[in-house]
Amino acid sequence: MKTTKTLLLTSKFPRIEAALIAAWVIAAAVSSEGKPLSYVGGLMLMQENDETGHTFSFDYTFTPTEAFGLYVKQDENGKEILMITPEINTLLKRWNFADGQANIFNMSGAGLANYKGNNQPALWTAFLADYESRRWFFSYEPRFVYDGNIEKSFWERARVGIAPYLANYNELNTWFMVQVDHHPAKHDHFVATPLIRFFYKSYLLEVGYQSDRHLMLNWQVQF
Amino acid sequence: MKRYLLPIITSLSLSAIVSADTINAHVNGMVCGFCATGIEKTFKAQPEVASVKVDLQSKLVTVSTKDGKTLDDAKLKKLIANAGYSVVSIDRTK
Repeated sequence: MKTTKTLLLTSKFPRIEAALIAAWVIAAAVSSEGKPLSYVGGLMLMQENDETGHTFSFDYTFTPTEAFGLYVKQDENGKEILMITPEINTLLKRWNFADGQANIFNMSGAGLANYKGNNQPALWTAFLADYESRRWFFSYEPRFVYDGNIEKSFWERARVGIAPYLANYNELNTWFMVQVDHHPAKHDHFVATPLIRFFYKSYLLEVGYQSDRHLMLNWQVQF
Repeated sequence: MKRYLLPIITSLSLSAIVSADTINAHVNGMVCGFCATGIEKTFKAQPEVASVKVDLQSKLVTVSTKDGKTLDDAKLKKLIANAGYSVVSIDRTK
């Protein structure tokens, strides 16, 4: 509710507001950390709610290695900054193994950031390196954000996960994971998050509780 | 005898021409539901394909083609590569 209210107060784009609010309403009960790319022609809708704020993205994969979409971030870790940018997600390298897959992605966007009525150019870029088998999951993601004279920040995220049982894709998959976030610019702050990931066909849901007492709720749908 | 042989041979030939293929592709890199969905949707969008099934356990993609249609190895490999995965081997049955 707080997010919706903040968006209404700060955004200069009423139509985008309406679309975002609709997405938030649809997602009210839930929020992902899956791959930023699907199959050629595939659409991906994703929302994350955690201690850094609320993130929404909608992407269309147009080549085997590139997806294009919209990225919106309502930052609540310190300043309440709203960032809206088009984004491009690029698969830089992929390794397919018999029992797993490893990837290096880049995600980048350029657009607008707003803080208390002050609009600034916004630029961000992140890299995601992951390895996933049906049993194990590892990832590392450094992220750089430039919001003009509002803020410049860097944070990094790492994850380890294990599937307690192996399920096929049309069965419910469950993962136990631990995520660690590091915010060097914010008092060298570390946040640990034990979480459970549920995966069923093209639906992903993650629920966790963060060491700084925030609930983490992520979701992702591919269609 | 000749009178019966000709129709039999003709019908056998025709059934061979219009029969469908079942293709089993062994694929590397498939680990999750998103992988399976991507492959399924990619193949279902092809006019030659009647059905597709993904088995993460056996790393197998099974594609059945429509009667009289076929999907050659090059196209099959390209479709799976477009979905993000690598074909290791292909087995075909009529």
